[in-house]
Amino acid sequence: MIKKRKIAEATIPTSSMADIAFLLLLFFLVATTIDVDTGIGLVLPEYVKDVSTVEVPKNRMAAVLINANGDVLMDGKPISIYQVKDNLKPRIISKIDLPKNKKLIVSVKTDRKTKYNSYIQALDQIKSAYFEVRDEYSNQNYGRKYNDLPEDEQKVVQEKIPIIISIAEPEKVKQ
Amino acid sequence: MKFQKRRANTKQEIPTASMPDIVFMLLLFFMVTTTLREYDVMVHYKLPEAKAIEKIENKRLIQYVWVGAGNRIQINDSIVKLSEIEPLMYAKRQALPNVIISLRIDKGVDMGLVTDIQQELRKAYCLRINYSTTLKI
Repeated sequence: MIKKRKIAEATIPTSSMADIAFLLLLFFLVATTIDVDTGIGLVLPEYVKDVSTVEVPKNRMAAVLINANGDVLMDGKPISIYQVKDNLKPRIISKIDLPKNKKLIVSVKTDRKTKYNSYIQALDQIKSAYFEVRDEYSNQNYGRKYNDLPEDEQKVVQEKIPIIISIAEPEKVKQ
Repeated sequence: MKFQKRRANTKQEIPTASMPDIVFMLLLFFMVTTTLREYDVMVHYKLPEAKAIEKIENKRLIQYVWVGAGNRIQINDSIVKLSEIEPLMYAKRQALPNVIISLRIDKGVDMGLVTDIQQELRKAYCLRINYSTTLKI
């Protein structure tokens, strides 16, 4: 009679597999881009040696001047930096239906001694004004916020409300 | 009369079998989070806060420029002078045509310096910039 040979157990212990998987998962979760780069995007104009000046009609311009103390002058009126948005919004809205070459230009001009922080606050105000107008326009026309629109509709809104910010060179401090 | 001690007859130990796993996870977490810096930042800076901010989606396109207190400018791993920005950035643009310059500038830096840097960037044709800010809550 042939004796049945006992087969040695050949299983891999799988009880710790879940733990290993969790570790890997955690590793990849953590390792992929922790700090997202956020900020205010801008495109600089090309560098040209001889700057030719173009006259821009006054009603197209919104001039924001910031001095060394952080005081803001908008179109000749002294205002607080947090009022820039509310002052700008109606002007952007009034120009939505105008052709491309008549849209609002926001010009930001600083002093050489202006602190970077006040400049960013002003830019932030201008950007939020534009974003809010875009959101309102999208809500009225498409029933959704700008960020939730499909790409082609975003393009239409972008064309209606383009963000034109002109960064003027700071003046030398007069002594 | 005999008093009987009232005591629940459940076990009173905390299961410690999974303790090593938990510890390993913690270890791994801290290992990973603490050493993920690409560059040694040698300038001291505090970013301004803003609300209307955007994310930079493509991390590969970013080139950082740090400007810290005391007007120290850092690119890659070294402190540079203002006049060195243009050739450095021009070389960067050759390698990466649509590079985005992320400007990490301290709150208190004067705009004069910021504009000078921007002029250098314009000369180097690095026109897409991003003022790095943190979210204001």
